[in-house]
Parts: sequence; structure tokens; C-alpha cells
Amino acid sequence: MGVNAHREEHLDLCAGYALGSLSGEDEARLEGHLASGCPACEAALADFSRATVLLGASAGSARPSPALRARVLEAAQSEGAAGRRETAPDRGRIIKVPRRSAGWLTWLPAAAAAAMAVVSALSWNDANHVRGDLAAERQKIADLQQQLDQERRWAAVLSAPQARVAELQITPDGLQALRARATYDPATKSAVIVFENFTAPEGKDYELWALRGAGVASLGVIKPDASGYAVLKLENVGDPETLGGFAVSLEPAGGSPNPAAPTGPVVMAGKFGG
Amino acid sequence: MSQQERDIECLRRLIGGDQGALAELYDRYCPLLYPVTLRILRSPGDAEDAVQQAWMQVWRSAASYDERRGTVAAWLLTMGRTRALDLYRSLSARRRAETADPAPRSASPDPLADTAQGQLEQRVRQALDALAPQQRQVLEIAYFEGLSQSEIAERLDAPLGTVKSWTRQGLMRLKELLPEEEWV
Repeated sequence: MGVNAHREEHLDLCAGYALGSLSGEDEARLEGHLASGCPACEAALADFSRATVLLGASAGSARPSPALRARVLEAAQSEGAAGRRETAPDRGRIIKVPRRSAGWLTWLPAAAAAAMAVVSALSWNDANHVRGDLAAERQKIADLQQQLDQERRWAAVLSAPQARVAELQITPDGLQALRARATYDPATKSAVIVFENFTAPEGKDYELWALRGAGVASLGVIKPDASGYAVLKLENVGDPETLGGFAVSLEPAGGSPNPAAPTGPVVMAGKFGG
Repeated sequence: MSQQERDIECLRRLIGGDQGALAELYDRYCPLLYPVTLRILRSPGDAEDAVQQAWMQVWRSAASYDERRGTVAAWLLTMGRTRALDLYRSLSARRRAETADPAPRSASPDPLADTAQGQLEQRVRQALDALAPQQRQVLEIAYFEGLSQSEIAERLDAPLGTVKSWTRQGLMRLKELLPEEEWV
């Protein structure tokens, strides 16, 4: 028998491993044994790991304070994506996540920051203007402040801890370059949907649909800028109980004549979660 | 889709930076993590610190989860336990004595919400009662006090090999008594 062949004692090691009570030496021995694959041990590990979850369940049903949830989510938010990523050792890496462009949604905080800078600059200039210009400047500030508040509100949708995200996937009728991502906040029933490469062919428009229960409802035609980029910020997108996701169809210019059904092919679709 | 498949999907989204995924996992598994850390640390404040550290570790290292080593639930629980045991060891003995609450209660009791969890807890406790006393003892010491098998052998004045057998038999018996049970 090879040195790594399965033996009864390996099951003892698996039990200790599941409880985290193995010595460093024993853990290394088990890892060495598992490295060459052992179905018996892998099955035992699955069973023992499930049993340790049940042991945990015996500890009672105390709840932490509600403030803890907010602290955890705020801490995660302030860390953001940068500085995360403790990379796994090569052995045993199971989850492979396709890389996405980092610039996916960086426009929003940048726009808010730009608006704030303008507001600040105007406030400084205020003191140096003649009386007659004061009222006009104050109006500008008020308008920009309102824009900033709006931007903050939409930024809040994106970062709401309970926000649900749907990455839309291309259907066989969709062009490879199309990209769309929807973030829905069940608390406010608002959504922000970002589109890339959405320039429609001549005489056509892309239209967005909410998937509500068994039916769909139009959320409007997508009007991208010259580079094919668009952001839709929508209120009353749907109830959390019935809203399942979103879809995009390719319609004649102006959109589908029927607000409850697409007339053209569905090019992208995505549901929340899995 | 099984709970494990749903949790893996959640981890994928979390790795992509989706804080909604973190919130989902928190809501599902904090009721499992917190009582364990509270039992280890015996202080709601310390238990919350340990839980917070555990979730931050999840946020940072979700890509290191290995499905071959156990379920997502078990992995998350291990994070919580490890943080709690580390914190327990780092606190001075005097500090532990000062803050220990012999019967720590929930910071926010919610009797109506816990029915399914409470019933699972009942069933697990009954199964633990059915274990041989030594098997139950080694499991609880390993789990809630974080002692190594050698340390357990020393405390119980039993051979190391015997402690290893009790551990394996205890977990297998638990699994046999609760074949269909899963975290709610």
C-alpha cells in the first residue's frame, strides 16, 4: 500500500480537522493525504463538517444587537474592493470568478465629487460678486445642491446593504459587446441600471423590461450617449416579492407599441441571485 | 438549488464586491455564529467584536473557500469560532473574569423569530444527550474551548488515541442521529 493510501486513522484526523483540534503535525499529515485525493476522507469531511454546524446550533439562539449588522456592512463598504483579495494557495481553490473591469461603476462617486467641488467654488465666489448677481448664484447653488442630493440618493441605492444585483447575460440574439448590470433596493423599490456598448442599430431602440412574477413591464427605452453608455435611475421598479430581474429587447425606434410585452427579440436577461 | 449551492453563488457575488451578498450571508448565518461566540466569550460585547472580525475576514478572503473541506456554513462558522477563541486567549484572565456573564442573554431577544432555530437547537441537544458522555465531552471541549486533542487528553487524563476515537465516534453518532438536519 502506498504511503498515502487511506487508513482508518485518517478518519480520526478528519474528525479532528473538522473541529479544528488537530496538532500542526497531524494537520500536515492529513493535508498530505488529501492532496492525492481520497474519496473516503472527502466524504467523511463533508459529514463531519455538517456535524460541527449542528454542534454550533446547540449553542442557543441569542441575537446580537441590530447595530452590529450596520457596523459590519459599513466596515465592508469602507474597505471596498481595493485592499481585499487574500489570495488562496493554489491547492484547493474552487471558486473561479471572471475578472470584470474595475471602472464599472466609478462614474457615480466621481460625478458627486465634481458637483460638490462646483458648489464649493460657487460658495467662495459668492462673497466677491456684486449684489445683483447674488440671487442668480444662490439659485445655481440650490440647483446643484438638489442634483447632489439626487446623486447621493442614487448612490445610496447602489450601496444599500440589502441591495439585490442582477448581471444581465446575453441571449443568442444579443451582441457579444452588450453589458448591463442592475442594482435594486427593495426598501425604496428603486433601481440603477448601467449599460455599456448599447448603441442600437439604425431605426431601432433597446428597451428595458422588469420581470414581475409571470409577466413583464416596460421600464422605458434606453438612450445611450455617443459611446453607447447609459444609466437608468428608476423609481417604483417593482415590489420585492414579485420583481425577479430584468430583460432587454431590441424594438423598433420608440420602443414596443405594447408596454406589457416586447415585440422584438430579447437580447439580454438577468435574475437576482441564483 | 440546495442551500450550499445558494451559498456558493452568494460567495461568488461577494468576491465580486457585492455587499448585498455579504448582507445575505450575514442575515442567514449570524444567528448561527453569534450564539457560538457568545458561549465561548461569555460577554455580548466581546462576542460582537469576534463576529464583526469574522465577517470582515469573510469579506476579504472569500476566494479562499474550498468546497472540498466543507460547506459554506461550516466555513463561516469556523471563521466565527476561530476569531472568538483567538479573542478569548488574548484577553487577560482578569478581564475575562470581570466581563463574564454566567448566563449571557441575547442583546435583542426576539422569541417569535426563532422557532425553527429553537427547534433545531432542541433536537441537537437531545442528540448530544444521547451520546456517550466522553464523546459529548470531547466534542464540547474541542468546539467551545478550542483545546487541541493533546490538551484534551491531558485534561481528561486519557490517552491521545482514545481522545481521537471519541472525537470521531461522537461526530459520526451525531451525524447518524440527525441525518437530515441542516442549518435553517
